[in-house]
Amino acid sequence: MGSNSLTLAPAPRSAAAEEVRAEVREFLAAELAAGSFTTHVDTWLSGVDPAFSRKLGERGWLGMTWPKRYGGHERTAMERYAVTEELLAAGAPVAAHWIADRQSGPNLLRYGTEAQRTEILPRIAAGECYFVIGMSEPDSGSDLASIRTRATRNGDGDWVVNGAKVWTSNAHTSHYAITLVRTSPADPANRHAGLSQLLVDLSLPGITVNPIRILDGGHHFNEVVFDDVVVPGDMLLGEEGAGWHQVTAELAFERSGPERFLSTYPLIAEFARRASDPAQLAALGRISARLLALRQLSLRIAGALDRGELPDIPAALVKDVGTTFEADVIDEVRRAVDVPASLDSPDPLGRALAEAQLHAPGYTLRGGTNEILRGIVARGLGLR
Amino acid sequence: MTSSDVDLVVETVRDILTGHEPFVLTPERPWDAGLWSALAEAGLTGVGVPEEAGGSGGELADAVAIVGALAAGAAAVPVAEQLLVAAPAVLAADLDLPAPEEPLSIAVDGAVTAEPRDDGDGPGSWTLTGTATDVAWAGVAQHLAVLATSPVGPVLALVHVAGREVTAAANLAGEPRGSYVLQGVTAPGALLTGAQAEQLRARYALARAVQLSAALQQVLAWTVQYAGERQQFGRPLGRFQAIQMELAEMAGEVTAVAALVDAAVQAVERGESLVLAAAASKVRAGAAVEVVARLAHQVHGAIGFTQEHRLHHLTRRCWSWRDEAGTETAWARVLGAGLLGDGPDALWPALTRVV
Repeated sequence: MGSNSLTLAPAPRSAAAEEVRAEVREFLAAELAAGSFTTHVDTWLSGVDPAFSRKLGERGWLGMTWPKRYGGHERTAMERYAVTEELLAAGAPVAAHWIADRQSGPNLLRYGTEAQRTEILPRIAAGECYFVIGMSEPDSGSDLASIRTRATRNGDGDWVVNGAKVWTSNAHTSHYAITLVRTSPADPANRHAGLSQLLVDLSLPGITVNPIRILDGGHHFNEVVFDDVVVPGDMLLGEEGAGWHQVTAELAFERSGPERFLSTYPLIAEFARRASDPAQLAALGRISARLLALRQLSLRIAGALDRGELPDIPAALVKDVGTTFEADVIDEVRRAVDVPASLDSPDPLGRALAEAQLHAPGYTLRGGTNEILRGIVARGLGLR
Repeated sequence: MTSSDVDLVVETVRDILTGHEPFVLTPERPWDAGLWSALAEAGLTGVGVPEEAGGSGGELADAVAIVGALAAGAAAVPVAEQLLVAAPAVLAADLDLPAPEEPLSIAVDGAVTAEPRDDGDGPGSWTLTGTATDVAWAGVAQHLAVLATSPVGPVLALVHVAGREVTAAANLAGEPRGSYVLQGVTAPGALLTGAQAEQLRARYALARAVQLSAALQQVLAWTVQYAGERQQFGRPLGRFQAIQMELAEMAGEVTAVAALVDAAVQAVERGESLVLAAAASKVRAGAAVEVVARLAHQVHGAIGFTQEHRLHHLTRRCWSWRDEAGTETAWARVLGAGLLGDGPDALWPALTRVV
């Protein structure tokens, strides 16, 4: 088997990570006690709270691994892992900054110009500047290379963008979209050529943000329409024509974190509060065993990032196994308790079940469907 | 032997295995005695036991590597029981360890009571009565470490079982899992604390999880290989997207099990509490068997459903190992209850402490 491409070295123990973990726990307990937030399922999509994001920025928990000259804190991926998993386990409102901190910032660090980095990264690290992912389009979901949003140079060297992006989480509360555009005509012989990434200020004239409501009525997704939007020429991210390569690297960050198995953790915590009979304890044990294995997989990826690796195939595998787990949790819990799922339930477990269920179809779609991910894993097995 | 020798140890085991293909176990031929002799001659049945105790030295990691390599090779020898469970327990109880070439197994099930023949304080002599059930390698083992109950607490006794009558039984792979009736048998033994007895059971569960992890990795490798070789509709099975999805799902399960089991073994090496890590490993590995064995057989088609093909040597073992040394359900209850030890609101801190 191509085990070398699937399996990573065990994660090193990190005393620094355990130290910052304790600090985050203390912070979260105080915030919960003060009523600054209430726990919810899937808060990295739905929990937009700029004030909370700024508090994290003040404490140095955003942009943690970035160089200090860009507002970062030069800490390890293992420390960042500890912070993010504590925030997710608490169901804290982290959606405002999540994309910017997780992937847009690292993308800028890797491919951005000095001006782009200096201008934007410190604001992300402060919890003040938020990003959306401009990849999918109405006619391009899993087949990302088929996007049609195009950017052409005008006489001033600026880009004129036309097209539309969808599933742009929280575009209505964000500042920038890293937008994948076609900068040269599609080449049937090389579908991945001619794509570029643009750093698009969402306040530019010609941009319209239309809400798309998800199953529980929540407004997180949007359609972002570009109508002759003039994007300054210096807002190209990375190389013209290298968009596919850059997007692939970005996806390794997007796919590897603890949010790929902890989206429904608040439901598990609520279930634990009433697990008492042997069958319920066994259900909690089964759920926990799966979670513990996923944690080890995800920690291994954090360790690999610290070694400077870009483990895209293991990340695809973790996301496949992890997001399957997130949805399975709902039915494990349902079979162990007599609590109907309802957003109006007087029982917090009933509400958590309802939130988790209504968000569930998204877990195995966002960031690459599990079918796409399994294709990537199959490539790691040497099958394609 | 040092832990840097792990790769060398595994290579040695694999070399030995090439001369000992797995076979269908029967009551007449219930184990691979020739393989055992070869392993014993190479000193591999004493790994993890200090040289001054008659062993070959080496660390837990070496013993784990040997057990994994032998599990992947469907080796019909009591190495997991001896190296990972019985020998460490006998040593920890300060009992005299039998020679490493004499197979030593472990019995934690059934109802065996121990009465002290002397003052019962520390290592001493005990009278054992009752039936040890589900004994791995019953009839093959020459010595048996028996976890018994006594009026003063759990006792680990070491019984010489060579030649003793066995009520034969086998697991789904034909591995001996018989019973011994013990009527007033005198044996050396030592009192354990309740926690030590629980650790012993957990070590047994972790040993099975180590075997499962290695076997599942091998099943995946065989299935990927078969999908690359078997041609249908003019191309290899592995070219079909439907098959790729199944193999990727298997890989996800196998990789998750390995990550957790590896972490649990490392936690044991660091001397951390073993029970919840072992419980989680056993539950996770057992759960993976359902998916991995089912899809492996599905991809192999009818030939994999025969004794002519090698696949059953591992899938039948996996179907049994997941139930042995404590079922998934039993360990899931232990894990669920253990994680709530600090109260119903403290699940998350408990989870982050397990491994």
